[in-house]
Amino acid sequence: MDPFESIKQTFFQECDELLTDAEQGLLAMESGEADDETINAVFRAVHSVKGGAGAFGLEDLIRFAHVFETVMDEIRSGKMELTDEVAKTLLRAFDVLADHVAAARDGGKVEEGRSQGAYGELRGLIGGEEEDDDAMGGGDEDFGFVPLTLSIEGEDAPGGFIDLDAQNAEAGVELPAPDQAPQDELASWTVEFSPKSEMYAKANEAGLVLRELARLGETRVTLIDETLPPLDQLSAEQAYVSWRIQLFTDSDEASIREVFEFVEDDCNLIITRDGAEPSVAAPTDDGLSDDDRAAADSANADLDIAALLARVGGGDAPAEAAPEIVAEAPPEAPAEDVAALIARAQSVAPPPAAKAPTPAPTPPPVAAAAPAAAAAPAAAAANAAPAAAASVTIRVDLDRVDRLINAVGELVIQQAMLSQRVLESGLARSSNVALGLEDLELLTREIQDSVMAIRAQPVKSVFQRMPRLAREVADMTGKRVKLVMEGEGTEVDKTVIERLADPITHMLRNAIDHGLEDPEGRAEAGKPAEGVVRLRALHRGGRIVIELQDDGRGINRPRVRGIAVARGLITEDQVLSDEEIDNLIFLPGFSTAEVISDISGRGVGMDVVRRSIQGLGGRISISSEPGKGSKFTMSLPLTLAVLDGMVVTAAEQTLVAPLSAIVESLTPRTEDVHYIGGKDAVIRIRDTFVPLIDVGVALGFRETAIDPASGVAVLVESEGGGKAALLVEAIQGQRQVVIKSLEANYQQIDGVAAATILGDGRVALILDVDALVTTQRRKPAARPSEKRMAS
Amino acid sequence: MPAASALKTLIVDDQQTMRSLIRTSLHALGITQTREAPDGEEALRAMLSLPVNLVITDFNMPKLDGLGLLRAIRAHGPTSKVAVIMLTGRADRELVQRAVQFGVNNYLVKPFTTQTLKEKIEAVFGPLS
Repeated sequence: MDPFESIKQTFFQECDELLTDAEQGLLAMESGEADDETINAVFRAVHSVKGGAGAFGLEDLIRFAHVFETVMDEIRSGKMELTDEVAKTLLRAFDVLADHVAAARDGGKVEEGRSQGAYGELRGLIGGEEEDDDAMGGGDEDFGFVPLTLSIEGEDAPGGFIDLDAQNAEAGVELPAPDQAPQDELASWTVEFSPKSEMYAKANEAGLVLRELARLGETRVTLIDETLPPLDQLSAEQAYVSWRIQLFTDSDEASIREVFEFVEDDCNLIITRDGAEPSVAAPTDDGLSDDDRAAADSANADLDIAALLARVGGGDAPAEAAPEIVAEAPPEAPAEDVAALIARAQSVAPPPAAKAPTPAPTPPPVAAAAPAAAAAPAAAAANAAPAAAASVTIRVDLDRVDRLINAVGELVIQQAMLSQRVLESGLARSSNVALGLEDLELLTREIQDSVMAIRAQPVKSVFQRMPRLAREVADMTGKRVKLVMEGEGTEVDKTVIERLADPITHMLRNAIDHGLEDPEGRAEAGKPAEGVVRLRALHRGGRIVIELQDDGRGINRPRVRGIAVARGLITEDQVLSDEEIDNLIFLPGFSTAEVISDISGRGVGMDVVRRSIQGLGGRISISSEPGKGSKFTMSLPLTLAVLDGMVVTAAEQTLVAPLSAIVESLTPRTEDVHYIGGKDAVIRIRDTFVPLIDVGVALGFRETAIDPASGVAVLVESEGGGKAALLVEAIQGQRQVVIKSLEANYQQIDGVAAATILGDGRVALILDVDALVTTQRRKPAARPSEKRMAS
Repeated sequence: MPAASALKTLIVDDQQTMRSLIRTSLHALGITQTREAPDGEEALRAMLSLPVNLVITDFNMPKLDGLGLLRAIRAHGPTSKVAVIMLTGRADRELVQRAVQFGVNNYLVKPFTTQTLKEKIEAVFGPLS
């Protein structure tokens, strides 16, 4: 690929991330939760989009991103107030910005009116005339800038790397002699502060003390770490480091001592007025001895450990990286010194001597007074993670992953076959071969899980499209919506993710359009004007569960019932539980012009959602409370490649029923089985009657059904909530099976979802429970009304 | 006349796209010794082990921004003479002036061509060979 073209692809990928960041930031701004850094991050994201667009000459995108960036710049510099109106305008404009990016990627164009409208709104915020092209980043203005020339040859070669020896030497040079003290009339004090482990045990922090001290005057802090033992001799509950602080202040010794009031008993403190004799305060106990001490507060001790680890070159530093080596400033240098450099770079005064540095934005507050010590753990931790993540990511062609998954599927089958053959051969279970096979089985399972994990991706990619959808639907319906998303990091197989978007989109539209009341309606119901829709993903029982909950009006059951009766889905006198009424909305043919609108309707109803969920081997249900809202719950398998199944025998065939559909299994008693019209069997399970389906007959393996009492009934529930009992001869056991598509290899067969290969090498069909149940119900005699004969 | 191939260059930008573009341009100019960092802090960390002649850095970055990086480089003796070229998103006079105050060697307005990049580098080092 043309390198330019490949960078362009990178750009669009990066844009996706940038837009996601920007959107999150904008949402935070809208809800008033944004701090300066969030606002700056949004600015930076838009700025980066513009920068990349500039490099590729994407004019429309540049123009739009530019005005967006200008507004963000005004906000972050405080020139423009971030009102609710501004935030909403930005969010609307953001959607257009995302469209511009998409258009640039796909070679399309954003609808002129839409783009101009949003552009105009943003311009309206700034006021003033359109800028010329130069200001949009195209020009290279001459500010009378004279480049600073350098020679690369000879002694003055402008090369170099950061040398911490030199850094320390520098610091030493910069330490002025007392008579060069910055404030002539201020006294210079030297404070030696050596905390004991008890100090940390009482949850006192050295950093806070040092910061307090810095209030008295200018401080120069030196970390004393000579007593640090090698890493392998380090005790987490000991205190090893101390500080020497040079303090320029007009305060007297008592005031200095007061800073240490709470820790004085737990540290060694020596306060000396420079030029005077040392004044020793606390009893001179060697705070660094190996005495057993009271259990220390591990949080503080950890801090020291982390600092030490950072010093020896990162968290995974080998033990041999002893402090004495560190003292020689190796290239993989103490992270806190980088932090110190950064702190210096960010301090206000250009001569960057050790004036109490202003806090760097990333490290915690303790960094302020003690950059040499406390900044390290946080900085190191914060930086280690992204760096590690970046370095261990590789891009792999999806085809290769799929081939691997297929091969592992075969491996699982092969392994199962081998185990079975060994068993059949009569080898004892305790034989070495059998034991070895057991290990192999464990290993195979582990490989399978790992391979599946390769394809697993967070649902974020789907979730992140939803805030925009929510805004659009809210705008169209005149409702106010807050979309709260949780569990975006929940991982699920890529193929599942791709097919989640449509159902979630549909349900979200539905929740806002039908579920939520308009602001007036909400006011009447005593609810806040803004409706809340919660979208949540979580893992539960080896499946992924997606919940969509609104705080709207809930299902209008009398109306739903009325519609269902009118559509002939239920009879007038049919008795249904609340739950069953709620679930009527999933029935095909329920959703019609009477209940759909422009937004959520579009000719399809919840039955389409249910079908697509079922297509993924999932199920969906709704629970609703009138006046309080509804909750849709989708449960899906984590992968489409493997299925937990119940292996059963019917008409001498081995079949697999998806475990997710099975409610229970039981042995039918003759007196519980009844025949309707002398033909269609139903079975009484507790006080409910459900159809009893002979699987052998349903699939055409045999003509006549077996005697129910001689078989096993497996009670299954279809996604529509309809139940049926599948009559089989026997249950063989529960097994995880690798799904092989029947359509891809043969053709579609009613009642059969797919096939698999069992341990003995035979092909077993996987039952399509829904199809079996539905087929049975479509028979004229078996209308849903028969379902509750008992009541 | 410095050899382009001898110029050790550190590219600092939070955007992968920009880093790739700059790297591609530099390579086209024969400057093949390049390393990259996503922000000022990482740049400083990279410079712990890497002698650098030229730093091409973005201005607006998370953590430590371009000006901060410039100051850190200038404040530290061994690196104080490293050439720094600052990238700006727009021709911002105030920003360039601040960078000048901290001793920037040159600046470059995005988007730029390989030719412009070459001119900016040559303005600092003299003609590249």
